[in-house]
Amino acid sequence: MRWFGFGFNAFAQICVQEKSDKEESSSAVRVPTQLKNHVGRSKIRASWSRTASLFLDEDRRVRLAGFSASISGESLGPAVLDTRGCEDAVISETHLTLAFPDRIESWDLQSKDEAPSWRTEIVHRSQSSDVHLPLVPGGYVASEPPIFRPLPSHLQAKSLALGGGHAILLTAAGAVYTWGQGSHGQLGHGGLIPEEEPRTVEALWGMSMRSVAAGGWHSVCIGDGGDLYVWGWNESGQLGLPSRGLRKTSRQKSDLQAGGLCGSVGTCPAEDPHEEVFISIQAFPALVDVSPTCEIRTVSCGSRHTAAVTTTGCLYTWGWGEYGQLGHQTTASLDEPQCVEFFRNENLHVVDVVCGPWNTFAAAVEKEVLDLKNVPESPL
Amino acid sequence: MTERRTAFGSPAASLWSKISASLPPDEGQFPLQFSDKVPLSVVEMLKRARQELYGGGTTGAGRVLNAQVILDYSWERLNTGTWRHVDKEWRRVYSYGCLFKAAALCREAPSEEGIVQAIRTCDMGLLMGAAIMGNILQVIVCILQSEIRKLAKEEDDQDHVEAKKRKIASSHVGLIREELAVPRIKCPSLESFNANHLLPLKPVILEGIIDHWPALNKRPWRFVFSRSTRIQMNIVFLDEYLRSVAGCRTVPVEVGSRYTDEDWSQTLLTVNEFIDKYILNKGQVSENGHKAVGYLAQHQLFDQIPELKEDIRIPDYCCLGEGDEDDITVNAWFGPKGTVSPLHQDPQQNFLAQVVGSKYIRLYSPEDTEKLYPHESQLLHNTSQVEVENPDAERFPEFVKAAYLECVLKPGDVLFIPVKHWHYVRSLEVSFSVSFWWS
Repeated sequence: MRWFGFGFNAFAQICVQEKSDKEESSSAVRVPTQLKNHVGRSKIRASWSRTASLFLDEDRRVRLAGFSASISGESLGPAVLDTRGCEDAVISETHLTLAFPDRIESWDLQSKDEAPSWRTEIVHRSQSSDVHLPLVPGGYVASEPPIFRPLPSHLQAKSLALGGGHAILLTAAGAVYTWGQGSHGQLGHGGLIPEEEPRTVEALWGMSMRSVAAGGWHSVCIGDGGDLYVWGWNESGQLGLPSRGLRKTSRQKSDLQAGGLCGSVGTCPAEDPHEEVFISIQAFPALVDVSPTCEIRTVSCGSRHTAAVTTTGCLYTWGWGEYGQLGHQTTASLDEPQCVEFFRNENLHVVDVVCGPWNTFAAAVEKEVLDLKNVPESPL
Repeated sequence: MTERRTAFGSPAASLWSKISASLPPDEGQFPLQFSDKVPLSVVEMLKRARQELYGGGTTGAGRVLNAQVILDYSWERLNTGTWRHVDKEWRRVYSYGCLFKAAALCREAPSEEGIVQAIRTCDMGLLMGAAIMGNILQVIVCILQSEIRKLAKEEDDQDHVEAKKRKIASSHVGLIREELAVPRIKCPSLESFNANHLLPLKPVILEGIIDHWPALNKRPWRFVFSRSTRIQMNIVFLDEYLRSVAGCRTVPVEVGSRYTDEDWSQTLLTVNEFIDKYILNKGQVSENGHKAVGYLAQHQLFDQIPELKEDIRIPDYCCLGEGDEDDITVNAWFGPKGTVSPLHQDPQQNFLAQVVGSKYIRLYSPEDTEKLYPHESQLLHNTSQVEVENPDAERFPEFVKAAYLECVLKPGDVLFIPVKHWHYVRSLEVSFSVSFWWS
């Protein structure tokens, strides 16, 4: 299995690029680039300035790439922190949380402390089934203090996704709960008000969901049948619905290229506003047709973009693309799902995708050696 | 864009030298101090941008890209949570991003379009950011604006704008019932205003107190209203004056009939775009059969464009309040005929000065608040649910029983709206008002 990264790379968290005189800066990787040193199975987690790799076939260490942690310039790595035996990890801009068989630790990446800022023991082996980061026994770990937040046990939480200011939770029964900021419809309850406590997304009542993901201001979930539901802010097309903001920016860009002044007041004669319906905020879940024939296997969200893998091994991306995080080798943003041709051209079958805020990481295997029995049932 | 030639070397170099003269002389004296709310990785990007500002290592495009990273990250923080709770540090970071981007755009022989883009960048920092380095964005935007005006002068030799005629259709006769009229008084003394109006919180229109404003006599804002021919003679159009002073500046505009409507929204336009689209109605696309109304409302235009501040004065009567002059909020209200501010109340005393055009205004006492059916939500608790000029008698039966005063505010009038007094405003023609909120 090979991991490929594309998008924001100002801290060399995807790859180290040669400094050249070219206009194109190294802060954006447009062509999907294979991550070095990833042999065998591994998990990837990404924050804005770093990538954490968990190598599953070795001694299960976590390696960090990207912005160096502490003020002295030394990187936070195996020398300071013993990560052997790690089973899962989540990383935010300020904290790295690691799950081991017997404990969970949350480390402040900005301090030189030799102890984690939060830690809990896993006493019973049965409890380890409760650990599916950021879910931990009794609650979950957040990106900033207070690290540990309790959750009522009656929810029977199966997985949890944390967005920019909101959370989306999937229960064992397949129900979806959301809470947090609601100003951009990201809670899916039909309004714009925040919720302090988990509240069920009633529009999905009766349908069983199998996976959830959260971006900066949007939420996504996959139904049991492989359908994709989205809600929240669509200012960059991250919902895959028509976005007015996108059309305006693309018109301004072509105005600039044509030599017109910024912000010229031309109206486009061909565009009739009555024909097209733009969606800026989708406050209730909406179904998105990613690919006409295929089921969605897994989905991940960046800050303002979304990436989905189909059961047939295609990677689709849409939303904000300014840093090349959509993988179509441009910096255009899209409000319609588009297949990342790179993998098809290289005869690669995508099996997983993980998004950082401004970049995307895709795991792929060669089509020729693809043996359906070896493809993991569920994504890592 | 034609070549610009002067006797004193390349103008592009002089623009950059003016800008860099406003910056600290070297990297060491350029402050980058932030609380620990700002992650070290972001501080790292800021340091890189600072290094590029003083060094020659990167290309112009590379510098712009680096600044853009800072802008994109802080923009996301500004849009997380409620605006009130956004940490001021993120607004500072955003301003730094604007500074680095504007500097990068002006570094190497910028075209006129490049300068306009830099102005827009500074404006975004002034609108959404927090003041940094002695409000350096304001300093830089002034440098850029005078550059644009220089270029405009070279392109356009016509200094004299001819007086133009514009017909007006509106008639204000019969609009106000005398027994309900807001009382008018000419140049009252401080003592009598205090005793008769401020302390008892009674609305009044003060006449003659802004006659000395340059906006009303010296500077070409004024519409000369000729009674005999009922044609407005503009010495210079208000909009042409604003274009020359502030045309490429970005301002917030409210679009939609009233802020309680579902399809009401806010957008950012340059003053040129706003005047073209919403004052002169060029290329207007009608939606639902009605022309969209755009209103440059409740904006601290005089802070953003200090030249305009010279045209107005703070009314002397504000000294009767307890606050400092610095605490007085001055807002501009500029829009076409038909802008509506729904019936609402404000937590401070208000002097509403009319400069150009006229407005119909209705006032209700806070004692009658229950008859005005304020919205229940916290966000709109200071706003009435009632459409004042078309009230729904079934939903709001008590409304007709509420006593009110009304007036047509015309150029030179200043309306005193006591604190918490409910007021409804509709413009009768192109209008420019200035409000002073004081305590």
